[in-house]
Amino acid sequence: MLNNAITDLMTKMADDELIQGHRNSEWTGLGPVMEEDIAFSSMAQDKIGHSWALYRIIEENLGGRQADLFAFCRPENEYKCCHLVEYPNSGYDFSLMRHFLFDQAEAVRYESMLESSFEPLQQLSRKVKGELKYHTLHANAWVMQLSKAGEESYDRMQTALNEIIALAAGIFEPGKAHEQVLIDAKVYPGEKELYNRWLDRIYPVLVKASLNLPALESITPAYGGRNGQHTPYLAPLLKEMGEVFNLDTAANW
Amino acid sequence: MYGGGYIFEEPNNRQVREEKIHDEPEKLAAFEDRIARGEKIEPGDWMPAEYRRQLIRLIEQHAHSEIIGALPEGTWITRAPGFKRKLALIAKVQDEIGHGQLLYNAAETLGKTREAMINDLLSGKSKYSNVFNYPAKTWADVTVIGFLIDAAAIVNQVANSKGSYGPYCRALERICYEESFHLKQGHDAFIELATGTPAQREMLQDALNRWWKPIMHFFGPPDKTSQHSEKLMQWKVKMASNDDMRNQFLDMYVPKIWELGLTLPDPLLRKNAETGRWEYSDPDWDEFFRVINGGGPCNEERLQVRKWAEEHGRWVRKALMKPTEKHTLPVA
Amino acid sequence: MSLDPRVNRLKLGDPNAVIKVEEGENWNVYEVFHQEKRGAHHEHVGCVHAPDPQMALIFAKEQFARRKKCVNLWVVKSADILAFDVEDEDMFANNLEKTYRDASGFKVMEKINKFKQSSKGTTDVK
Repeated sequence: MLNNAITDLMTKMADDELIQGHRNSEWTGLGPVMEEDIAFSSMAQDKIGHSWALYRIIEENLGGRQADLFAFCRPENEYKCCHLVEYPNSGYDFSLMRHFLFDQAEAVRYESMLESSFEPLQQLSRKVKGELKYHTLHANAWVMQLSKAGEESYDRMQTALNEIIALAAGIFEPGKAHEQVLIDAKVYPGEKELYNRWLDRIYPVLVKASLNLPALESITPAYGGRNGQHTPYLAPLLKEMGEVFNLDTAANW
Repeated sequence: MYGGGYIFEEPNNRQVREEKIHDEPEKLAAFEDRIARGEKIEPGDWMPAEYRRQLIRLIEQHAHSEIIGALPEGTWITRAPGFKRKLALIAKVQDEIGHGQLLYNAAETLGKTREAMINDLLSGKSKYSNVFNYPAKTWADVTVIGFLIDAAAIVNQVANSKGSYGPYCRALERICYEESFHLKQGHDAFIELATGTPAQREMLQDALNRWWKPIMHFFGPPDKTSQHSEKLMQWKVKMASNDDMRNQFLDMYVPKIWELGLTLPDPLLRKNAETGRWEYSDPDWDEFFRVINGGGPCNEERLQVRKWAEEHGRWVRKALMKPTEKHTLPVA
Repeated sequence: MSLDPRVNRLKLGDPNAVIKVEEGENWNVYEVFHQEKRGAHHEHVGCVHAPDPQMALIFAKEQFARRKKCVNLWVVKSADILAFDVEDEDMFANNLEKTYRDASGFKVMEKINKFKQSSKGTTDVK
């Protein structure tokens, strides 16, 4: 029971990072300026790397499928990523705001797992700590700078925030029966708690950036992803990601 | 990644420049002595206008080749098979952007701003390595590019890294170091297909057949038709002749292709045991010039994508511009 | 249709459109100094274009430390670097008799050996 719950949690985390990493990697070579192109690509690689590490823990510690097969050869409804990560990149405003909200969420999640009773997760959290520190430093700097850089830029950031906030709240979709098991076993503190910590983290940055956080009571978080219900954007991306691998999954690539 | 071996020469510009060399004979003699002694030229040094012009052109084209070179392989970023290949490919394409960054900086030390270079790329005034005007149709193309185009680039870049201009040499030193990772991961992915299933081998052979011509074009036209480049050799701007570099590449890599039981689409390709030189069919130099002048399968898309990136990144750059600040070029 | 699915999602513009980048749009130049390990000097490794020092540092981290071992970075605006003209190289030439500044200018062992060989030196030892 506990192992199933841990697998469920880690699959959600891994799928989020795999898809978000993919979306961010699409910017490689197309960014607004070379220096940022390089930085953003590194962070995309980090995310895909984290997802790989999570899938490997599922494989090695929890009796799951081989990491590549599990990551690239599942039917769409078995993916548990949130809707936020599925959306195409749109402009750099959308991508940066998503990066800010998503990476702050990642940071609070992994931090909460520094004390996890599940040893492999605890170790991984220690390993990714430095990377996430850079990701949030980078995200905070961009959000603050662009929000203070004239009207057009400010409007773009505020619009992006308005568009994304409900999607971002969907990261913390309640985990049903499994979640209580995980909280009781001290694997992690649960989605509600992480959601509050996340708000505590993003709020001061948004204030400094003079951005208005939309009233949270008025938004409907984009739930469903954790149960395998996805936006129309996911299926084509999965097909793309597995295109070569699925030519022959038994072959070495 | 890719110092296209061939520096594109604008026609009709040569005669005038040649004369300028003789403007200041004493300084020129000291400059040439310094190069002959194996010393490097640094940004603040006196240098002939022609040396500066040729170097800007060389380094700028090299830089453009890096950021355009990111596109054919970028084609497969979202589709690379499995974690290891995906991460390696993203890292490699990222390195190419990083190399572009280093090279634009090196060129800027000579007085041309990054913005001016980007504008010349977008307008078609400035060229990049021809090889990137060809499409990467299958995953196997990525392995051919990663192995053979990178290998060719290394031959060129190792030669250039012994050139006379300090900032370019320093950039190349770092670039060559990273290229060794590119070549290794490319070779590994190439071998994986070559030693894989019949379908994988077929895919690889097909890619090899399609890329062979652009690879033969990579180092530029044969020496006998190439423009006079003695001065550039003396100034250590151009470090080896097109044919010598091509020969070195064939020497090092054709055996590595043949040992895997793969073939190359040129029945005349062989090493002449007496001369030590490789012999090959004429690789259609008309096509080479056609593609340079915009007639390749991907010229239009490559520039369109760069234009998209510049246009859509503009608001980000403009938002953080500081118009009152004094702008400077890199120090070294 | 591009072969690149990423490109197909971009909605490319007119291929003949004139796109120009304004001077200064790639911001200013910052020199980057890289410290490989604690206790080592920060060494110049190149530069980044950035709108301000904070972003310069953020950019430098990935462009100059994503592979190479690194514990710290400095950035400084290129404009703030003061250097000698390259023509002043002759100023650094140490071809005059200035051995009094070098360790090699002092022949300590010679004096000791000479002393040991003299009668005074040998009788005093033991």
